[in-house]
Amino acid sequence: MNPGMQDFLNAWYPLIKLSAGVFGTVGLYSVLYKENKFYRFVEHLYLGLAGGYSMIALWTETLDDTWYSKMVGKAATHADAAVPGMWAYAILLPIGAMGYFVFSKKHNWIAKIPIGIILGLYAGQQVQAWWNHYGPQINKCMQPIFPTTLASFTVPSKVGLSPAQVTAINQNIYPSQALSNLIFVATILCVLSYFLFSFELKSKFFKGMTRTGRLALMIGFGAIFGSTVLMRFTLLIDRMYFICIEWFKQGILHMR
Amino acid sequence: MAKIIGDKLQSLPKYWLFAILFLVTSIPLFHPLSVPTPPDDGSADLYAHLMQVPAGSTILLASDWTNSTRGDSKGQFVAIIKILADRKLKAAIYSTADAQAPRVARDTIAEINAVRVKNGQPPYSQWNDWVSLGFYPSAEGQLSSIATDLRKAFASKTEQNPATGEQQDVFESPVLQKIYKLSDCALSFTITASKTSDLTVERLLHKTPLVLMVTGVMGPQTQNYYYSGQIVGLAIGVKGAYDLETLMAKGLNVPGGIVSTKIPASAPPLSNQTDVQSIGTLFYPPLQFALWLLIIMVVIGNVGMALSKMGAQSK
Repeated sequence: MNPGMQDFLNAWYPLIKLSAGVFGTVGLYSVLYKENKFYRFVEHLYLGLAGGYSMIALWTETLDDTWYSKMVGKAATHADAAVPGMWAYAILLPIGAMGYFVFSKKHNWIAKIPIGIILGLYAGQQVQAWWNHYGPQINKCMQPIFPTTLASFTVPSKVGLSPAQVTAINQNIYPSQALSNLIFVATILCVLSYFLFSFELKSKFFKGMTRTGRLALMIGFGAIFGSTVLMRFTLLIDRMYFICIEWFKQGILHMR
Repeated sequence: MAKIIGDKLQSLPKYWLFAILFLVTSIPLFHPLSVPTPPDDGSADLYAHLMQVPAGSTILLASDWTNSTRGDSKGQFVAIIKILADRKLKAAIYSTADAQAPRVARDTIAEINAVRVKNGQPPYSQWNDWVSLGFYPSAEGQLSSIATDLRKAFASKTEQNPATGEQQDVFESPVLQKIYKLSDCALSFTITASKTSDLTVERLLHKTPLVLMVTGVMGPQTQNYYYSGQIVGLAIGVKGAYDLETLMAKGLNVPGGIVSTKIPASAPPLSNQTDVQSIGTLFYPPLQFALWLLIIMVVIGNVGMALSKMGAQSK
C-alpha cells in the first residue's frame, strides 16, 4: 500500500468505521417506519458479520489454545520449555463432528452418541446444581413472623456501630420486620396455592388464597415487564449515544 | 365531542411518538444532568465488598456481554475495571456466553486505558494486572471445571508477557501465579446478559463469594439470589452502573458520602476521582425521561379510552 493511501486510511478509518455503524443502526431502526429493503439488507449484513466473526473468535479464543495447541505441542521459547503434542486430542474432532449427522435422515443416530454423552454429564451435575439454585431460597422462605423486641418499630440504623452492636441488632426481629416477613410468607403460600391442581379447592378461604396468589403473580409479571421496557430504553439510549456523541460530536465535530 | 377527543388521543401518530422518544433520549446526552437517587442495597453491598478486598488480590471476572447489551453492561464493566485499577486488584477475565465477549472486554479496557494514560494514570496492563482466559462454549462444563480445579479449567491458556515478548502460560503471570483453586480468588464477578448468572450460582456457590451484574430485564429474577444470601452483591442494568459511579465518587457510610441504613459496612470513594462518572451517570437521566414519556403516553391513552366510552354511552 502506498504511503498516501496509508495516511488517508489512518486519518479517515475511525470515521469510516463509525459511519458504517451509524448506517447499520439507522437501517435497523428504519423498520419502525415499515418493513423495507434497507432494513432487510442491514439485517442480513448483521447476521452474516456476526456468524463470520463468531467462527473466527471461536478459533482464536477457544479452539486454538484449548485443543489445537495441546494437540500439536509447542516449540521451546526463551521463557518456556518445549511442550510435546498430545495427539490423543485428535479423537475429539470426529466425536464433535458426529454431532453434525443430526442433519442426515439416514445416519442421524450417530449424532445421538455425543448428544448422549453431553446429556449424561449434564444430568449428573443437575442434582447439586438444582440444590445450589433453589436450596438457599427455600431456606430463606422460612421467615420469623413474630417480633422478638418492641424497643423500636423499625430496625435501628447500623451505621457507625461496632460489630457487636450490629450483631445484637441482627439477632432481634423488630415489628416492621415481622410485618414484612408476614406479608412475604403469606404471598408465598398464596402463590403456591395457585399451583395446587391435584384437587379442587372448594372452601372460600382457599379460593381467596388462590385469587390473591394470582394477583401477586400478575404484579410480579408487571414488574418483570417494566424491567423489560427499561432495558429496551437503555439499548435505545446507547444507540442514541453512539450516533449523537461518538459519531456526530466526537467523530464529525472532533469535540470531547 | 368527548368521543372525538378520546378517539384522537388514542390514535396519536406513532411516528411522532418515535420522534419524541428519540429526542428525549438524545438531548440529555449533550447536557448531562444529575438524578438524586440512593443506591440499591445490592450495589452498595457490591461496592463495600470490592473495596474491602486486600490490594494485590485477584478476582475472577466473567465478562459475558457483547455490544448487543452495551447500554446496560458496558457501564457496569467500566465501573468495575476502574475500581480494580484504582485499588490495584488483579482480574482473570473469561467468558462462557459469547465468542465475541473476550474481544469486547479487551477493547473496553483499551478505551479505559487510553483515558487513564491521557490523565497521567498508569494503564491497567494486560499480563501484570489482568489476563484474558478466552471463551468456553459449554458454560455448564466450564463452570463445573472452575469449581473443581481452576488450574485444569484454564490449562494451556497463554498470553504475551510484555517483558519477554514471548507467549507464556497465564499461570506464570502476576495475576494467576498464586491462584491454585477458586477460593484463592477474593471474589467472582459475572457481568452477564444471559443465563450464565443462574449457571454461576448453580456451579460456583460456596466456593468463593459471588457477585452478579445483570441487565435490567434480568433484575427481578436475579434479586432472589441476593436476598437469599447466595450472592454478596448485585448491580442491575444502567441503574447499577449509576449506583457504582455515585459510590465511587462519594463513598459509602463515610463523612460526606452515601449513607445506607441497611448495609453497615463503610467504604471510601476512589482515591483518583478523574473520570469516575461515566456511562451510568450519562445514561440514567435520559432513561428517566423515557420512562416519564411512557407513563404520560399510557395515561393519555387511558384518558382517551375513557372519553371514547363516555361519548359512546351518552349517544
